[in-house]
Order: sequence, then C-alpha cells, then structure tokens
Amino acid sequence: MALLETIHLKKTYTIGKNIQTDALRGVSLQIAEGEFLAIAGPSGSGKSSLLNLIGALDTPTAGTVLLDNQNISEINSQELAAFRLHHIGFIFQAYNLINTLTAVENVEYIMLLQGVNRRTRESKSEAILERVGLADYINRFPQEMSGGQQQRIAVARAMAAEPRVILADEPTANLDSKTAQDLLDLMAELNREKGVTFVFSTHDQLIMERAHRLITLKDGVITS
Amino acid sequence: MLTFIKIALRNIFRNTKRSLITISAIGFGLGALIFIWSFVEGAHKQMIQNYTSYLTSHVLIHQKGYHEKSTLETYLQSPGPLLSTLKQDPRIAATSPRVRADGLLSSSESSAGVLIYGVDPDQEKNVSRLSQRVKPGAFLKPDSDKDIVIGASLAKNLNVGLGDKVVIMSQALDGSIAAGAFHILGLLDTGVEEIDKGVVLLPLKATQSLFVMDDGISEIAVRLKTASQAKPIAHDLARNLPSAKLEILPWQDVSPMMEQWIEFDNAFIWIIVIVVMIVVAIGILNTVLMGVLERTREFGILLALGTNHKQIIAMVAWESLFLGLVGSLAGLIIGSSSSLYFSTAGIDLSLFTSAMNSFYMDAFIYPVLHPGYVAVSVILVLGTSMIVSIYPAWHAAHLKPVDAIRSI
Ligand SMILES: Nc1ncnc2c1ncn2[C@@H]1O[C@H](COP(=O)(O)OP(=O)(O)OP(=O)(O)O)[C@@H](O)[C@H]1O
Ligand SMILES: [Mg+2]
Repeated sequence: MALLETIHLKKTYTIGKNIQTDALRGVSLQIAEGEFLAIAGPSGSGKSSLLNLIGALDTPTAGTVLLDNQNISEINSQELAAFRLHHIGFIFQAYNLINTLTAVENVEYIMLLQGVNRRTRESKSEAILERVGLADYINRFPQEMSGGQQQRIAVARAMAAEPRVILADEPTANLDSKTAQDLLDLMAELNREKGVTFVFSTHDQLIMERAHRLITLKDGVITS
Repeated sequence: MLTFIKIALRNIFRNTKRSLITISAIGFGLGALIFIWSFVEGAHKQMIQNYTSYLTSHVLIHQKGYHEKSTLETYLQSPGPLLSTLKQDPRIAATSPRVRADGLLSSSESSAGVLIYGVDPDQEKNVSRLSQRVKPGAFLKPDSDKDIVIGASLAKNLNVGLGDKVVIMSQALDGSIAAGAFHILGLLDTGVEEIDKGVVLLPLKATQSLFVMDDGISEIAVRLKTASQAKPIAHDLARNLPSAKLEILPWQDVSPMMEQWIEFDNAFIWIIVIVVMIVVAIGILNTVLMGVLERTREFGILLALGTNHKQIIAMVAWESLFLGLVGSLAGLIIGSSSSLYFSTAGIDLSLFTSAMNSFYMDAFIYPVLHPGYVAVSVILVLGTSMIVSIYPAWHAAHLKPVDAIRSI
C-alpha cells in the first residue's frame, strides 16, 4: 500500500483576473513508505507545485492527495498546519532556518510545537546533530554557518520531528557539488537507517543518479 | 510559549536601530503626555489656590437665597453662635465674617461702581491673601474705622492715591442712604483685574454701622485645612449645622466659571492624549509592520513547519509588548523626572503671563505629578502599542506559506 498517493492532481494558478497557468494537469502518483524518490523536469514543469500539494502547503485545484489513505485536500487551512507539523518534513532550497534561533533551537523547534518534552527534545536533537556531523555547532546562529551546514541543520530538524515523509525542494541547488554530495550521502544514509521517505524535486544530476526512482515532469504531466 | 518569547526578544535585538526608534517614539510620546498632564495639573492647582485665596475662599456661608439674589437684605443676623461652632470644627482652618454690598465710590473727580467688602482685619488675614497684596500702603488695622483699601486699578481710574479722601455711597438695610467718607490706607494689587478694578475693603464694624445692620453679616468665608475637600465638607456642613436657613457653597459652586474652565482644560488634554497616541501608533505600526514584511519568508517557513496562527500572532505580539514595555519605562522616567524636576524649579511663563493673570495664574507654574494620570498615560500608550500590532500580527499569521516562502 502506498504511503502517499496523488490522483488526477491539478493546479491552476490565476494571476490577476484572467491570466491562468496550468502548473499541474492531472498528476497521479504513488509513493511507498521508505522511498527515495526524485522528481525531475525542466524549469516551470510543476515540480515545486507538486511538492507543495503533497506537503499540504497549498490546496489543489482538482484531484486528491492521500496520505495513509486520508484525503488531505479536505482538511481546512487551520488543521493543515497541525497536519504538516505531525506528518511532513520540509527542506527548502535555501534560507530554511529560523534566523533568531540557534542550530539546536532550530532542530528542537518542531518537536516543541509537537509538545515533545524537554528531555526528549534535548537528547534527540543532540543525537541528530551528532549524526549530521554538527555537534560542535549547536549554539551557532544560521548566519554563522555555511550553506551546506545550514542545509544539514534543516535535514536534522526535519528528521528529529519524525515525519512520515520529508519533502525537499531542490535542497542542493545552492550548494557546490562536493557539499551537495555530502548532503545527499547524509540523506541517503538516514533513509536507509531510519526508513524515512524522501521526495526531492531537482535539477541536480547527482540526485537523479542516487534516487531509487526518478519521475520526470513536463508541462504539468508525468512523462516518465 | 517560551520559544516565542525568545524569538520575539531576539527579533528586537536583531534590529537594534529599529527597535530603538520604536522605543524612543513610545518613550517620548509617553514622557510628553505625563509631563503635559503634570503641567496642567500644576496650573490648575495654582489657579484654584489663587482663586480661593482672595474673595471666594474654600467655602462661603450665606443666608439662604443669597446665591440666587445677592442683596444686602439676605444676611445673617447675630452670627456669633454660628462663628463659634465653625471655629470648633477641626476641618476648618479659619473663618472670616464679611459684609458684602454694592456701592458707589467717588473721588473729587469721578466715581465708579464698586463691590464693598467689610472685613475684620485680623480674621481676614487668616482666610485670604488680600492683606498680603496691598502695595503701596497698608492693610486695614483693627482700630481703623475711617480707613479704606481700594483696588489699584480703581485708584488709577479715579485718579486717587494713598491718603486721599473718597466717599462711599449706597443704600442701608433700612432703606436710608448710607454714606461715609474714608481715607485710602492702601491699594490692593492682586493681579486679578476683577478685584483690582472693582473691590474696596472697609473695616467690618464701620461697614455694619454704615449699613445699619447691627452685628449682621453677609457671609462667612471659610478656609479649610484641606482645599480639595471643599465639596464634601460644604455638603457635610450644610447637613449638620443647626440652622436650616444657611446656604453653604464650596468654591466650585460659588462661581462655576472656574470649575468649567478646568473641566474644559481637562477635556482639551484628551486631544493631546489622542495626538500622542496617534504618534505612538504610527511609530509602532511602522516598525512592527516593517519587521514583519522583512521576515515574510521566515514566517513562511514557520508556517510550513506547522506553526499555527495563534502562535505566529503571539510571536509578533510579544515583540510589540516588549517594545511597548521598554518604551513605557523610558517614558515613565522621562515624564516623571521632568515633572518632578520642574515641580520644585518651576516653569517661568513670565513671557506670556500678563494675559494669564486674570485666570489666577502666576508667572511660575509648578507641575504636579498625579499618580492617577501617570497610570492612565502608561495604560493608554501601552494599550495603543498592543492594539496597533494586531494588524501586522494578523498579516503575518495569514500569509500563505507557499507565497511567503517564494518571496525572498
Ligand atoms: N504562485 C504562483 N503563481 C502563479 N504562477 C505560479 C505560481 N507558482 C508557480 N507558478 C507557475 O506554475 C508553473 C510551475 O511552476 P513550478 O514552480 O511548480 O515549477 P518548477 O518545476 O518547480 O520550476 P523550477 O525548476 O524553476 O523550480 C510555472 O509556469 C510557474 O510560472
Ligand atoms: Mg521549483
């Protein structure tokens, strides 16, 4: 059974009164638990749009998104926040972190919203920071870290909250290839060790090679 | 909750310059408000003090009906027992029996309508400051019976001076003509035109015989130990004094003009309050909104991670609250210290004062810091800073995460 499923998912953006863009034109996709999946495709093909819908950041124009057979398109916007909090992890292209919080505070943030007690938060965040190789950076603020380090913190933050799926929209786009390679190694290992499902959108050849499955979008439809 | 407070505090420190601007806007606004309120309060206190220190005193006791129609016929016969009852009242500092009548004052050249006050020189000294405002010349003496003190402007108008003879003419109680000649012993220079232009002081005994009224008097001026208690004490006296034929009025009721003026002034202050609150509101709205707009992407991330509306609003609200608190503290210090400093040093208004004399104001105003007004000012300014942050907070909470994250 699929962890995640999209059925005839459509997304149309309306700019102004009458300019409409069909970003997604019927995407049906199944993602199994533990997958390491990459979505590729040219710029403007709808990758980000798809991730946003899967992650309940946005609502579809038509079609449904199911997580564990629960239709998340039917959830209202207030409950969506709670849904994201407990089920979805996000890693964005850049500037992912809360600038006013230190590395460890960033990692603890979601757990804090989840109501995880302090002891657990501390031990988990320490362990995960150790795991991503940033044990020495726990009290740094985001501006005091490199882009690669920041992305690792973002991965750690997503991991620590134990979501069902981590959605990463071009996580390596702002990194040099060596750093990107390291980050990818990290995510691949976490996927293997903990069985966390990862879904990427990417232009990065590296990610496409490492992905267990590659989906290509073009003009809002899956072409392969 | 603690995390949101932490984020709020760090956001304040992240942009120190902007935070300082906000804090000083609040601080100066509140400081100005407190100071202005103290200043006006001080001015009012002075006006009341001056007003009650000449003719009105704190409480005036008349025969019933005098306030309606102030004639000589409405007078207190044999006031002796009443005066001694009053003297025993611990709330009363001093009393002065007076005869009060209209009359005509003539010099050899011209004449003018005047208000005649027959006063007991010794007792009057304890009730009013009239005796201290005689310049040049001297105040009435206990043994004066042919002396008169007249307003300085009046003397000028009649072209008379010290030692000159003037004639008082009026109608006595029995309908006969009351006339008498007096020598000017002193000129009354209070600075209050109303008095200086139209009042003459005569010895009480001489006045009583002039008007053929035995030991009758028109009024008893009462000076209280606590000026602010005039209303309640007047009411209490009215209830408890034996004679039902008395009319006992606190200064506010003797001449509603002064009280109305003060009330008008107090209403006017609210305009200043509103202006200050608008300035504070704009200052805070500007900085908080800027701060929120600058952080649009960060709010997008927070929302994406699952932060709910209430939590976002709390974050922004905490920020405003802290800015408001620090600003209010600054304002409290600025406003209170300046008020306190000038409450002893005084503020010299001599440049504008000639016009103010007739309002019973002096050249120096001593602000009075009133805790109640300070509290109201702080609450209003702090309240404004919180209310104004509602919009930015609401805006931040209702950003669409996707759009917010796309914007850098
Ligand atoms: N918020 C929006 N408002 C209007 N149009 C949008 C919006 N977001 C995306 N689009 C349009 O929808 C289409 C798909 O955009 P999307 O961002 O999903 O593509 P993408 O595959 O992620 O591209 P890239 O590789 O450049 O990130 C594009 O034509 C884009 O212009
Ligand atoms: Mg994209």
